[in-house]
This record gives sequence, structure tokens and C-alpha cells, in this order.
Amino acid sequence: MQATSMSFFVEPVNADTAVIKIGQALDFRNSAEFKTTAQEQVRAGIQNFILDFTDTGILDSTGLGSVFSLYRQVSPLSGQVVFASVSRPVQVVVQLTRTYKVFRQFPTVDAAREGVR
Amino acid sequence: MIATSQRFTKLDNMIDELHSLFDRWSSDGVFSSELEEHAVALLRLSVHEWIANLIQHADFQGQDPEVILDIIPNGRTVTCVIQDNSAGFDVAKHLRIRMEKLERLPERGMGLLMLNAATDYFEYSRSTSGLHRLEFSVSADVDPWLNIPF
Repeated sequence: MQATSMSFFVEPVNADTAVIKIGQALDFRNSAEFKTTAQEQVRAGIQNFILDFTDTGILDSTGLGSVFSLYRQVSPLSGQVVFASVSRPVQVVVQLTRTYKVFRQFPTVDAAREGVR
Repeated sequence: MIATSQRFTKLDNMIDELHSLFDRWSSDGVFSSELEEHAVALLRLSVHEWIANLIQHADFQGQDPEVILDIIPNGRTVTCVIQDNSAGFDVAKHLRIRMEKLERLPERGMGLLMLNAATDYFEYSRSTSGLHRLEFSVSADVDPWLNIPF
């Protein structure tokens, strides 16, 4: 079953893993909404998050901060946050902040589904 | 190289307007192939961070906001000037505080640090016309890095 939040599409993979499709932007305008969406999933038992950046043209410092917040929430639960299908603008932020050291990257969402099992 | 300029007056759609503009400039060939896609993306991120900062924190003192963006490409480097009619703020002080207080995997406070890291230099001053003026450059020849504690 798929669920749609106001701007983030959530697709469960199994009982503890879900894909969040980020869409065009994760920035100061919708980072609070991202956090709410992710927290709802954590409360429902999701520990592993695949963030799908296929269509993402903007990831800014506030957006990245909300991803850090999610990571801080799930890492004590042995959960993971991974990046999939990273677009060029997102890759620039990942490279600038060296966050590839924290978030594993996968070339596609399907590869990430396999990788986080 | 083509220098190009844009004036913004509406805060509520400034970010969308900004990114549409970058899309148009890219397709119109404003940025030379010498500059490389990576540097254009860094430039776009830097401008976004500053405009986002203005939208969220600037005090326009009851005036209609005015933000003027100038882009001056020069081979493998591009210079950007952003002027605005806000009250301004002490950028150096804020940057110093952010650097000193950056926590592990921070949720907030990375914007100025990312701008500082992504650019070859940046200067903030009050111009003779009374506007606040940020000038910075981005180069295709560097691999900038912001040291965030993990």
C-alpha cells in the first residue's frame, strides 16, 4: 500500500523499510513537512529509509539538516538512511558536505531496496 | 561571456523565480562549458542559500523587498553580486558563531557555512547606494569542502 503526504510520497518496502520520494525540492520551505512525514513512519515501525532523489533539483542546508535529524532518530535503533538515484544538484551538496561518509548511495531505488535488506 | 542581472521584489515566490532563472540561463548558454556543470550547481546552491537567508531572516524595515542579482561569468570562474534593501546583519560574527557552535550532524545553521565553503571568497558590505551587497565567486577548479562533524 502506498501513502502520500502533502508533498512526500511514501512507499513501504517491508515492515521496517520505506522509500520516500523527495520530489523537486527538499529545502527550508518543506523540511518541516519532511520531518513530520518521516516521524510518522518511524512511529509506525519504519527504521530504514531510502530517499529517492531522482527528480530533486534543490537540496539546501535546511533540507540536509532534516535528513540529519532523521538519521539521528533512527541510528540508535540500528536503522539506516540511504540515498538513491542522486541527481546532480543533490550530489553537489553531498560532495560539498562529504555526507557520503554517513549516507550510503545507490544508483537506483531498486538497488537500494536490495542493499538495505 | 554574458553578464546578466535580475531584480526580485516578491519574497513569497523568490526561490521558484530564482531556480527558473537559472534553468533559463543554463539553456541560453549564459554559463560557458568551461565553467562545468558542477560549478554552476555550486553557484546555484550558494545563491539559493543567501536568498533563503534573506527570506527567512532579513528585516526589510517595512519597505517593499528589493533583491538584485548580478552574475558575471569569466572562463572557469563566475562572480556573483547580490544586493538587497534589508537592514543587513553582521555576517562575519554570525559565521564565526556558526563555526564555533557547529554540533554533530546539525539540523540548522549550515547555510552560511555552506556558502562560505562553496565560494572562493565572499565579501559583505553596504554599498554607496545604501543597499547591502554580497559578492562572491565560484570556481570550476576547486573541490570545496565543508567540515561537518559526523
